[in-house]
Amino acid sequence: MRGKVAIVGYGRTPYSRLKPGEPVLTVDEYIAWAAELALERAGMSKSDFDGQGLGVSHAEVAHTVNWSAATAENLGISPNALIRGDQGGCSATSMLIRAATLIEAGVIDRALIVGADTPLSMPSLAPGLPLSPERTRGVFWDFQGPFGVMGATAQFALILRRYMHEHQVTPEQLGKVAVTNRYHASLNPGAIYRKPFTLQEYLDSRMLSDPIRLFDCVPIVNGGLAYIVTSAESAKAITDRPVYVLGFGETNNFYSGSRVFPDVTVTGFSESAPRAMEMAGVGHDDIDFLQPYDDYPFISMKTIEDWGFCKKGEGGKFLEEHDLRFDGDFPMSTDGGQLSGGQPGGANGGFMPLVEGVTQLRGEAEGRQVPNAGIGAVCGFGGIPYGRPGRSCISVILGSEA
Amino acid sequence: MESIAAKPLPDITDLTRPFWTAAREGRLVMQKCPSCGTVNFHPKPWCIECGDRGLEWTEMQTGGTVYSYTVSHSVAMNHLGWQAELPVIMCLIDIDGGARMYAQVTDVAAEDMQIGMRVKAYFEPISEEAGIPKFRPA
Ligand SMILES: [Zn+2]
Repeated sequence: MRGKVAIVGYGRTPYSRLKPGEPVLTVDEYIAWAAELALERAGMSKSDFDGQGLGVSHAEVAHTVNWSAATAENLGISPNALIRGDQGGCSATSMLIRAATLIEAGVIDRALIVGADTPLSMPSLAPGLPLSPERTRGVFWDFQGPFGVMGATAQFALILRRYMHEHQVTPEQLGKVAVTNRYHASLNPGAIYRKPFTLQEYLDSRMLSDPIRLFDCVPIVNGGLAYIVTSAESAKAITDRPVYVLGFGETNNFYSGSRVFPDVTVTGFSESAPRAMEMAGVGHDDIDFLQPYDDYPFISMKTIEDWGFCKKGEGGKFLEEHDLRFDGDFPMSTDGGQLSGGQPGGANGGFMPLVEGVTQLRGEAEGRQVPNAGIGAVCGFGGIPYGRPGRSCISVILGSEA
Repeated sequence: MESIAAKPLPDITDLTRPFWTAAREGRLVMQKCPSCGTVNFHPKPWCIECGDRGLEWTEMQTGGTVYSYTVSHSVAMNHLGWQAELPVIMCLIDIDGGARMYAQVTDVAAEDMQIGMRVKAYFEPISEEAGIPKFRPA
């Protein structure tokens, strides 16, 4: 599959925190806006996707049944294949893999992939923390909520605490990720929080669920993203800067060790990343940047470890020893990531590493362009299973040359 | 805006009722597989190791070991009933001979919490028909 498909366009709408006076857009409007941006960049129109593929990511805000087909109706596109992203923060990358295989099989030549969510517009039982009904029903919820499991921050704090028990990582090392993300956000007009903060400000930020602080947490936004993937052959006719999918790997419901008492310090990237790199035929030294699914700094750190950029347990030291800025020796989260950029719903933040990876490889990352970027690693990380870190872990290698 | 319970309550189904009933009566039960012996938790439709649908609710020991813990200082999931209890010490507990579960540890100062700490279950009613296990240092 190496180099068989390429991304030829992408779009990311402005994000909203719903400040007073800002327009309140629906999820359908965000999808259309993101699609328009992607189509414009590719020089294509929506009619180019009649008879082709349309991918639609899950939204937590209330939506109708047959969501992907209903989205086709809303957009006025009549596709021959619908792809549905239902893997949380892996939805964007999983739809890339599905589209690639459909294209390679000759079923379609191209696909428009969209995702948007308006979590801040969901009916909320208390201000500031909207919860979709699907998060609070079913056996999975029944064995969390009543026990006092209080959201992703507490769940991930349990994972981080265990990691800290087995390995060394300091708040300063993790803080460097948050500070660097904010620095990158200051260079990205599309990021939602752009005022830089210092390591000391990170350390002083309120402890929410020890050891996770306020500045470790991702801010929720309303917004939408889209990209267009085509066969490599078509890509060359569409743009002079196609970004090729060189390799991918996917793990779902990954366990390290036993299923009853698993080791939670290891993620599915430990299997999906080597597969992606093998398909791409690249080694760690060939990779010019990493766009992790960075909803928490320690997830970025574990991603680095499980991709094999350093040994297990040495992620903290790695963060300390490397310059994570766009012009440093290990550029990471160069758009500010979700941490400072904002997360447009749990299922759609996963578009951001992919879209930023493509932006970098097309040389379009004004003000934060990784010098001579030719090969990049991007990640999806979706869902929090019971007592473990990530339901789905997808690794993708992108390149400016096939 | 619909009203909300101070703390979340489970929707009890035939699948999960044995757990809630037992905890209401002061016992910890989990599903054990008659074929391969795997203890499944949270409740599953079949054994996650061998696929046997005949999982049997089995009384567990009440001792366990803290696999991890966090001290939560903020109310999340919108259920303000937790507010009065903050900080809440939320744990992953490895039940002796059982499986791993989320549970609160109480009656301990946050600074005294340690991974590897031995704990023992006690049971708190949360409704007429359901209870949950919580843990104290053993
Ligand atoms: Zn079994």
